[in-house]
Amino acid sequence: MGEVILTMKDIDKSFPGVHALDHVNFEVKRGEVHALMGENGAGKSTLMKVLTGIYQKDSGSIVYKGKETEFHNTREAQDAGVVIVHQELNMVGDLTVAQNIFIGREPKKGFRIDDKKMIEESKKLFQELNIEIDPREKMHNLTVGKQQMCEIAKAISHKAEVIIFDEPSAALTEKEIADLFVIIRDLREKGLGIVYISHRMDEIKVITDRVTVMRDGGYVGTLITKDSTKEDIINMMVGRVIYEDPKQHSMVAPDAPVVLKVEHLNAGKMVQDVSFELRKGEILGFSGLMGAGRTETARALFGADPKQSGKISVMGKDGQLREVTINSPQDAVKYGIGYLSEDRRRYGCVVQKSCIENTTLATMEQFTKGFLIDSAKEKEVTEKYIKELATKTPTADQLVVNLSGGNQQKVVIAKWLTRDSDILIFDEPTRGIDVGAKNEIYKLMNKLAAEGKSIIMISSEMTEVLRMSDRIIIMCEGKVTGNIDISEATQENIMDKATRSID
Amino acid sequence: MTKKKKSILSDQRFIVLLVVIALTAIFSFMSKEFRQYNTMLSLLDFSYYDLLMAIGVTFPLITGGVDLSIGTGMVCYALIGGTLIRSHGIPVIVAMLVCVLLGVLIGTLNGVLIGVMNLPPFLATLCTCMITRGAGSLCTATPWPGLTQEGGWFHSIFKLTIGTGRSADRYPIGFLWMVILVLLMEFVLNHTKFGRYTIAIGSNKEAAALSGINVKFYHVMVYVVCGLFTGLAAIAYAAVTPTVQPGTGAGLEMDAIGGVFVGGVAATGGYGSVLGTFVGIFVIMLLKTGLPYIGLQANWQQIITGLVLIVAVLIDIIKEKKAAAL
Amino acid sequence: MEKLKQNPIVKKLGLNRILLVGILILMFAVFKVVLGSKFPVGDSIKSTLNYVYFLGFLSLGVTFVIATGGIDFSIGPVMFCCALVSGYCMTSYGVPCAVAMVLCVLIGLCFGTFNGWLVSYMSVPPFIVSMASMNIAKGLASVFTKTQSVSWPLSSDPVNGWFRNIVSVNGFPVGILIFLTVAVICGIVLYRTKPGRYILCLGSNSEAVRLSGVNTRKWRMLAYMICGSLVGIAALFFVATYTTVQPGYGDQYNNEAIAGCVMGGTSMVGGLASIGGTVIGVFIISLLQQGIMAFGLGKGQQMIITGIIVIVAVYADVSARRRKN
Repeated sequence: MGEVILTMKDIDKSFPGVHALDHVNFEVKRGEVHALMGENGAGKSTLMKVLTGIYQKDSGSIVYKGKETEFHNTREAQDAGVVIVHQELNMVGDLTVAQNIFIGREPKKGFRIDDKKMIEESKKLFQELNIEIDPREKMHNLTVGKQQMCEIAKAISHKAEVIIFDEPSAALTEKEIADLFVIIRDLREKGLGIVYISHRMDEIKVITDRVTVMRDGGYVGTLITKDSTKEDIINMMVGRVIYEDPKQHSMVAPDAPVVLKVEHLNAGKMVQDVSFELRKGEILGFSGLMGAGRTETARALFGADPKQSGKISVMGKDGQLREVTINSPQDAVKYGIGYLSEDRRRYGCVVQKSCIENTTLATMEQFTKGFLIDSAKEKEVTEKYIKELATKTPTADQLVVNLSGGNQQKVVIAKWLTRDSDILIFDEPTRGIDVGAKNEIYKLMNKLAAEGKSIIMISSEMTEVLRMSDRIIIMCEGKVTGNIDISEATQENIMDKATRSID
Repeated sequence: MTKKKKSILSDQRFIVLLVVIALTAIFSFMSKEFRQYNTMLSLLDFSYYDLLMAIGVTFPLITGGVDLSIGTGMVCYALIGGTLIRSHGIPVIVAMLVCVLLGVLIGTLNGVLIGVMNLPPFLATLCTCMITRGAGSLCTATPWPGLTQEGGWFHSIFKLTIGTGRSADRYPIGFLWMVILVLLMEFVLNHTKFGRYTIAIGSNKEAAALSGINVKFYHVMVYVVCGLFTGLAAIAYAAVTPTVQPGTGAGLEMDAIGGVFVGGVAATGGYGSVLGTFVGIFVIMLLKTGLPYIGLQANWQQIITGLVLIVAVLIDIIKEKKAAAL
Repeated sequence: MEKLKQNPIVKKLGLNRILLVGILILMFAVFKVVLGSKFPVGDSIKSTLNYVYFLGFLSLGVTFVIATGGIDFSIGPVMFCCALVSGYCMTSYGVPCAVAMVLCVLIGLCFGTFNGWLVSYMSVPPFIVSMASMNIAKGLASVFTKTQSVSWPLSSDPVNGWFRNIVSVNGFPVGILIFLTVAVICGIVLYRTKPGRYILCLGSNSEAVRLSGVNTRKWRMLAYMICGSLVGIAALFFVATYTTVQPGYGDQYNNEAIAGCVMGGTSMVGGLASIGGTVIGVFIISLLQQGIMAFGLGKGQQMIITGIIVIVAVYADVSARRRKN
């Protein structure tokens, strides 16, 4: 390891309602691989976005190569040698690998683009990195893993001095990861400073020199990898005092019937052989890190996305558990399942419409009298739920876009309550909602469970999972890795199962 | 999200070429008149303006947009050109230049409306279609000079006539220019920044913008190029239309656009080929001119062009769906 | 301005609509003043109404399609196809007038179904479907009538003259009653029925609607089917006013119909539609056409002006949406 190339000191950044970065310190040396770890929402990505100019910091300083710097956009950062390899690929599918790598800076030979040169340079690049990709191949023909390798090659070709890898191994195979590590080691030899954002404990141990842990937007500490254990790191990641008491034991009676049974659900890489049961009146927490496959499982179960195989059984109104075919959300809704999406604004509500229109969207048959919509009834029901859920809105006609996040969520909940769905899937129910509204949603969920509704709660917030769940399912990379009763659950063992381990 | 479409591009163009050969063979076999040299000549004559429009509109289609003003635009420029020659005594060469310039002008207008003001392409060009049609209607029907008249030399660009009268030999050298232009534009598409960025815009506009490409500029240029070729098409149209009628033109763009889709352009953009357009146009042309020879009323051609467009697009959509499912 | 927006009467009627009516009245006044005797009130109102009848139904129809976030610019040629085919059946095959009228609407419905199916179930981009339909409609009309024009019955016709009564009876503009009634029905369907609710919501956010368990494909197709039926009705009014239809025409009405729609407040992005606005928009466009003609401008200038108006109207819509976001 050489001298320090980058120092981020006291970085502070807030968004409306969220204090994303709270006086964070981060330092990178030449010739080191420095891991940046933390749970979802810890602030890792935000910190890097501030560094590379996607966001502007509120306060603090960034010193790069001895000079106080601030990048205003990614182009500036790129030109200075600070490059980020994003999780979300930015590739043009219809162009070839070589064309993508050199996009925007194509070498020319007279009038024509020198494709030959681009291919040669790419070949050289791939050779140096020991990757086997044909630069003449069209990007959309490559696997996601290979595309990521190209993204990495592209970043390196910018003569970077600091490279940030954001969850690079998420889409790679074992072999590709091994190749990636060879590349990273090579870059380290060459004196680059490498930031490695990942939650994979085993990889951290193998490839990194130091580890910085963030938690809830704050800086927790930096460890030297070879001197620390997995437990040390996990403790730093989750070691918070939970003020609200976690649930001590399950509220579900031992003889409560199974209302939903999922067996061997398969839907692509993100949902592999997932099986679980949901019991009446239970709140089943789904824990795991980003990309674990929880939302994908819910969507496949709900019929929103196609699945390859899987048996789903739902308890009917008569109390019998029977197998059902769910190929579309229409089917799922018919069987009494409701789904509250992760991205409320995009998939949960029709924001340009009113509370009334949103609340009755899943139950329009109930509100039609002959040909016409029974507006009075619609309004009545909507107002009933506004009262019941304490939704803060001046009138029932108010457009949902004008409500705060928490209240928008309540409108979505009202929609499914109107439908009288017995099984509710909440995907990140309190994301982006302030503390006060959060508590209201929790109270609501508990009330629903007590009334006999069954809830699947997908959440990345440890506190929330421990507070609300009767039982916790943990997923990691598309597979179910844990199924724990709340009485045995701790932050540590949840996190343990949520992070991949090489056996 | 990237499109996982398998690139069987060469296959589609080759298949379309086979279709062209097959259609030619079928029509020749079924109709004696079709087999005549003069018929072939006439077919080629009438293909030039469609082909030029099609080459031009290939680019907007690759970006996932469209230019519906090419038909009326072409007629409008031909009318204005003709009026300049007849009423103002402007030399033919200048009128030809005016056509191209007008094309570039309207193309720029389209480009700005779509690339800078972000209007939906079909609507913006539907409006410029109306505007050019209206402008064209203001002119009176004016023929460009005939072959034997002064200024009529421009016909020779498309068809070389040696000798006079009935027994003259006519050679469709226009076809040669077309081939050259097609090869040129295919080169531009595949080997220049302009072509490369056209594809990038159609494939993933955000990624292109994030890679530092001046997306606005190239998006506008796509329509300027289309306009330029519409201008050229106007000249070709004038060469085969004895008297250009004001108010016509709507519907001519269908053949051109249909040809591009048959040639394999992706329904939502990101992929296209000028060579594909070339063979695609010939399918359309063959159907258009050949069907009457085997007894099908000329008007069926419109129905068939419409159906061909839908089938071509459906094939593309189904291919993509299949590939995405892999 | 804000105070004005809060006024209860303004709120009920909609500021946009009041503005539009204002524009309409202003236009009329300007035309009268500038053109004087060349713009006789009685005649211009009559010819405006004639235009409104068929354009109105076209606009109403396309409003449903635009509400879903789609587009249909085959409406002009399809209108002509309906009138030509059914008219030809009447004049050449002796089909009774009443049956021909029903047939006319049915043909429109067929095209609407065809378009809707391709857009909704086959995921073909709407503009491609429009282009293809447009051609098929033109071609079908030409083939069916052997490229001849078709004339529907005149009011003097002893057997079928009654057909003209849909437009006016003894000078009383029945047509306007029918049009406004249908417009009101469209408004009710769009705002007060389940299909209308679904159409507007899916135009605004189709994924959220799908995830609420609604069969969005079905309802999207329905919007196109409604459009097609209204186009069929438009055809009836066209021939009741102008008697003769010829194959190969119809394109210019596309733009005017869409203009009336967008001007009235229907957003090209989908989800937001105003039947009342469309109605006023149609009147504005129709009056504009009459005014332009009175100014002595020919079809050519009319088209140019309409084209520019639509650009301005859509741009206003696009930038208003941008600002909101």
